[in-house]
Amino acid sequence: MELRKTSVRQAVEAVYNRELTAHKLIEQTLKNCSILNETMNIFTHIAGIDALEQAKAVDRKIENGAQLPLAGVPVAVKDDICYGVLPTSFGSAAFKEFISPYTATAVEKLMDAGAIVVGKTNLDDMSQGSTTLSSPFGPTLNPWLAERAAGSAGAAALATGVCMLSLESDNGGALRQGASDCGVIGLRPTAGRISNYGLNTFTSSFGQVGISAFSSENISCAFEIISGFDERDASTAVCRDRSTEKHAVADIEKIKIGYPVNAFDYLEPGLREVYEKTRDEYAARGFMFEEIDLTLLREALQAYYIISAAEASSNHARFDGIRFGKAGKATDLEELYCKTRGVTLGREARRRSVFGTFLLSKGNYDCYYRQALKVWNMVREEFAAAFGRYDIIVLPAVKSLPRPLDEEKEFIEDWADDLYCAPVSLAGLPSLCLPVGRVGQLPVGMQLIGPPFSDEFLVEICNRVFR
Amino acid sequence: MKYEVVIGLEVHVELLTECKLFCSCPNRFASEPNVNTCPVCLGFPGALPQMSYDALQQALNASVALNCEIALYSYFDRKNYFYPDMPKGYQISQYYRPLGSKGYLVIENDSGGDNKVGIARVHMEEDAGKLVHASSSVSAGSSGTSSSGSSSMVDYNRAGVPLIEIVTEPDLHSSGEARRYLEKLKSVLQYARVSDCKMEEGSLRCDANVSLRPPGGQLFGTKTELKNMNSFRAVEKSLDHEIKRQAAIIDRGDEVVTQTLRWDENKQETIVMRSKLEAHDYRCFADPELAPIELAASEVEKARAALPEMAEARAERLVNDYNLPEYDAKVLTASRCLADYFESCLALYNNPKEVSNWVMGEFSAHLKNAGLEADQCSFQPEDMAELLKMIDEKLISGKLAKEVLEKAFQSGKPPRKVVEEEGLLQISDQSELEEIVDQVISDNPDSIESYRGGKTKALGFLVGQVMKATKGKANPQLVNELLIKKIDG
Amino acid sequence: MADLQLELEKAIRVIKIEVSSSEQEELHKELNNFLLWLEPMLDLDTKDTAQVLFRHDAFNVWRKDRVKQGELAELQEAAPNFAGGFYLVPRIFE
Repeated sequence: MELRKTSVRQAVEAVYNRELTAHKLIEQTLKNCSILNETMNIFTHIAGIDALEQAKAVDRKIENGAQLPLAGVPVAVKDDICYGVLPTSFGSAAFKEFISPYTATAVEKLMDAGAIVVGKTNLDDMSQGSTTLSSPFGPTLNPWLAERAAGSAGAAALATGVCMLSLESDNGGALRQGASDCGVIGLRPTAGRISNYGLNTFTSSFGQVGISAFSSENISCAFEIISGFDERDASTAVCRDRSTEKHAVADIEKIKIGYPVNAFDYLEPGLREVYEKTRDEYAARGFMFEEIDLTLLREALQAYYIISAAEASSNHARFDGIRFGKAGKATDLEELYCKTRGVTLGREARRRSVFGTFLLSKGNYDCYYRQALKVWNMVREEFAAAFGRYDIIVLPAVKSLPRPLDEEKEFIEDWADDLYCAPVSLAGLPSLCLPVGRVGQLPVGMQLIGPPFSDEFLVEICNRVFR
Repeated sequence: MKYEVVIGLEVHVELLTECKLFCSCPNRFASEPNVNTCPVCLGFPGALPQMSYDALQQALNASVALNCEIALYSYFDRKNYFYPDMPKGYQISQYYRPLGSKGYLVIENDSGGDNKVGIARVHMEEDAGKLVHASSSVSAGSSGTSSSGSSSMVDYNRAGVPLIEIVTEPDLHSSGEARRYLEKLKSVLQYARVSDCKMEEGSLRCDANVSLRPPGGQLFGTKTELKNMNSFRAVEKSLDHEIKRQAAIIDRGDEVVTQTLRWDENKQETIVMRSKLEAHDYRCFADPELAPIELAASEVEKARAALPEMAEARAERLVNDYNLPEYDAKVLTASRCLADYFESCLALYNNPKEVSNWVMGEFSAHLKNAGLEADQCSFQPEDMAELLKMIDEKLISGKLAKEVLEKAFQSGKPPRKVVEEEGLLQISDQSELEEIVDQVISDNPDSIESYRGGKTKALGFLVGQVMKATKGKANPQLVNELLIKKIDG
Repeated sequence: MADLQLELEKAIRVIKIEVSSSEQEELHKELNNFLLWLEPMLDLDTKDTAQVLFRHDAFNVWRKDRVKQGELAELQEAAPNFAGGFYLVPRIFE
């Protein structure tokens, strides 16, 4: 079965019709994973006998008449999401073989629906990046051009056809930029719509579990299953409290699309043309694009980096070598802390923890952190005002094409690449990234951004308009 | 004292709940280390805190019992610092928005008047684990944590247990006032059923800030902080010690240095803890992983209305309902569980003064010796009622009853069983006693003479002889009657 | 710049991360660049804007106390130094 050309629905049907068994499907997929991984470096760990046993169990359940909406569907899980069967590294060399004593809610929900985890996907240093270039395990290669980075290893797994769904995390844009870089569809949902329980995020305010797939239909299948209130993640209470809200328009051809023209000025050469061409094509089909101004993108990005670095300094404080991880060799407590943490956190993670500590310190809190909390509010309000007039807003997903593997960039330029994604994280909005064109061989994705809780609506638009 | 003493207390109290504050691990004592732990309270990556409703209710109850204003909007912050007993590298606490503020407790001041002690804040937070610094009894394992082979050991059973911190204004002016404040606080929180407040077990912990200034002064002197006081007595003594120490420094013309001191119970003195080079910068910020708390004013009012009866009200009721002397009422209500005990006994044996005498007297003495509270001992109200009924039934004398209580208290056996097993039943059988009485009469002709000669005291001696022969089991009244009957013929 | 150097050193000390002296020098430059980069945001007029503290609008999310006790072995196996039921750290002298 060619996973890229098969929908989740078709695959599950095939398993139910006994055209193939879950076991066979997973066995073949695992083989492909291993072969690909040798060159692409997609997975930190590939599942083995456990996944085959799980697949057999799914086959038995089917024979017993169980209804499993994701029966036998192979999924990849980013390595910052805990899964008790395979190691979870969090993007730290010290955790290469760490087995989490528990499994994340979203993974549990996928497995309960019959999905099989085929591997854990590579990631940046403590998830801090959108390239995989800072991974302690080396970068993941872009499936379209091997000398470039994949952005997201989960997206690379989808693009190379070794899974049908990829469970990922998105902080400042890794999921969306990865989807753009690999030419797949990625959904970062409204903050709190998918439980983050079991996601080791460096920034609790902006980290969010999301899902990528080859089609919006597949996204829809998975999202329905993994979204919803989870007692173990307070932020999902928005699902409980606001479950009745629905976003829909009577005539989808008449949706109003906000097009923040000023935002496109920052793009690297080649990209602008792709986005403009996309707009022109759809405008020609009668869709209404209106130019709007988003004035705070740059400041939003800066606020994102202040708050997320501050939170990283605190979220990563638990990596002290006492209850888990690898303890540094030490004769006193201070040495234990410094050595363990110096090794557990990579260069990027060390930078952010140190900066975050600086930003929260007496004196700096008022000057930087509090200002960022206020800018957070301004950015939310700017988006909210825009959604008073438009059904969706489109933004580029990336500022530049996937990074060459050997390119050294100043960290701040790296951070600046999150220009279009981090502000959306800050506003807590749902964003669906879909491929809209190419520059050379390399795919380019665009974000469809909607008001809070419009996740399903975005998927529907993607499905019906931007095919 | 030529200086005015200024004391403020910071008290941590463990809340009585089923579970920890942010996870479903049990909030109870465990004899084994690290058994009440889970990914949340051990701070595993990705594990998120889940707020306990019961803990919030308890903190609310405590805050209203301490006459606080309640913040209708509050939330949790992270207080960031490293120590092995803090699993996440931060403590979840309420820094910017405490649940309660501007409360007070009224205590008796040193001249017998009232001192209304201000409570600046009451906030919720999670407890830390415990460190054990045994020498090298436990090996550090193959990887070898330390070259010297000795380690400190961490037990996270307590990590995440719900606490409230209660911070007073600097309104206390002597060690005696500090002790009375703590006693009052303990009573209020026990009556509110918020905490058992056992300082010896660590469910109530107290730090003190002390400074001296010239009488009537406006500015505060340099304060020192006192830690590690494990009983109310230790608080009082360490404050006295510190007040003297500071006074001596000022008398010499020197300046008191800001520092943290530890009370050494063995040496009975304060010891300077290693002073930090840098002041702690906790980098507090709102914990993004928890939802803020919004209370309706009606919920707060409901909590205020539902507050259980406090000690004073209960003492008043005991006087009115049971005709108890005020002294008895005060002693009995000093601890909620003793008052509960008293009233439970009363439900089974309706003689208030008699019950009061026994509960205040013998029973309390045994509790004190054993270091127990009334609800912790095996001598239940049913046992007390049984004991008193046996006296009424003349099965045992009052004197013997004390012995029975002691044995029952220590063995955990019901008093009737103690009496049976020890053969302590009072002899009220006339024929059995007559033999002994006859024997005593024939053995003591002199005393009989004296008695007949009008010396009634001699009768007492004879009764004593019979009691001696029966090892105290004879019914004294019956012996008396028999002797008179026989001698007077 | 000298103040920034001191503040950076303090931050590294507070957050307890071993950093080589060359990395510390780099971090100094980076922090300086970062702070310069932040200036547009610092210049925004926010005096009439309230701060946001939570990404969600959720209030009052809590659970009922019902004791659960899970598997301890898996938790404890993750510890680098664990013996006799305790997590071990280098001896602390108090």
